[in-house]
Amino acid sequence: MRNRGLGNTAIAGVTVMALCSGAWLLHSGNETHAPPQPSAAQARSAQGDGAGRDAAPALPPSPPDRIRIPSIRVDAPLMGLALTRTGSLDVPPAAKKNLAGWYEAGTTPGEKGTAIVAGHVDNAEGPAVFYDLGALGKGSAIEVDRRDGSVAVFTVDAVEVYDAKGFPDEKVYGAAARPELRVITCGGGYSRATGYRGNVVVFAHLTGSR
Amino acid sequence: MRTTVRLLTGSALAVAAAGLVCAPAHAGDAGGLEILPSSVVPGGQVTVTTAACGEDGAAAGDASAVGAGPFTLAPSTHGGDTTGGFRVPPSAQPGTYEIVATCAQSGRRVTGDLVVSLTSQRQPVHPRGSVKTGVGGALGPDPVQTAGGVAALAVAAAGGTWLLHRRARGDGM
Repeated sequence: MRNRGLGNTAIAGVTVMALCSGAWLLHSGNETHAPPQPSAAQARSAQGDGAGRDAAPALPPSPPDRIRIPSIRVDAPLMGLALTRTGSLDVPPAAKKNLAGWYEAGTTPGEKGTAIVAGHVDNAEGPAVFYDLGALGKGSAIEVDRRDGSVAVFTVDAVEVYDAKGFPDEKVYGAAARPELRVITCGGGYSRATGYRGNVVVFAHLTGSR
Repeated sequence: MRTTVRLLTGSALAVAAAGLVCAPAHAGDAGGLEILPSSVVPGGQVTVTTAACGEDGAAAGDASAVGAGPFTLAPSTHGGDTTGGFRVPPSAQPGTYEIVATCAQSGRRVTGDLVVSLTSQRQPVHPRGSVKTGVGGALGPDPVQTAGGVAALAVAAAGGTWLLHRRARGDGM
């Protein structure tokens, strides 16, 4: 009889635990997980972003292979991106969640000018390569492995969020007198009807190489 | 001079034909020689890459069309590409020049076009507008967690039923 009592207690325990964890899983699984958005402290400062400050000399052109942002645990291969028919930057296939891309017809990262990298914040399954981009702090390092064997090291100047309506093309894509990098993903609020309202854009400039 | 003209028209035709067949020329296309930047000023540095020579493939490059002579392509430290580079002579004339690379192992010959222009910076078309880099999938219910929750509740239901069943029979409760 004692064995049976123990068995019953065990079954009851397992039942209660399963009930609690099931309820918790269902509840937390239904919560929304909006990607982090940049705060005012991450924005460009009024005096500009210290153009020329500790900027490293430009590297010769070389296509990039990989991007690493250690502070938000990004380590992703880069594919070449072209423009869509409307002139916007194309994006990597959404199904590959750890794949980013770079604008192939533009500046290569490390070369003088504005190099552009883009990747998804999420896909249908959940968070993707640049999910945490909005949380990237000023001064963080971004490393780009280049095909010539060198690594271009960029330092983050600012993280901004822009509405798709009235997107500041010149600020984001325009030419620069020193080697700069933009890293772009979706952000700026989400609605089921229209999707993400705009883009999170990271501004960085070359500060070293190895 | 005639050879130069023929070289230029030939290359222009090749560019036009390539444009028709494969509009977005992607990096690492197995068939071709990728030249970056594709348009360069005299005296500029050029990087040449191909995927045609396979993993760990080396190649011999020839940029004599533009007056830069032979150069070497070595296996890239990243990926399976073969890469090398040369400097366009400061005396190079504007025009389109064919750059050739021959794989060391297979002997396969790949070519690409280099445009030399006098305008100081190539003016790439900048993208316009925002980028469609998300669909909101991070915002919905997490299917794995939901499935786990349903499974756990099923276990709880089974346990509860079993206990109630025993109690109804009056077994040791």
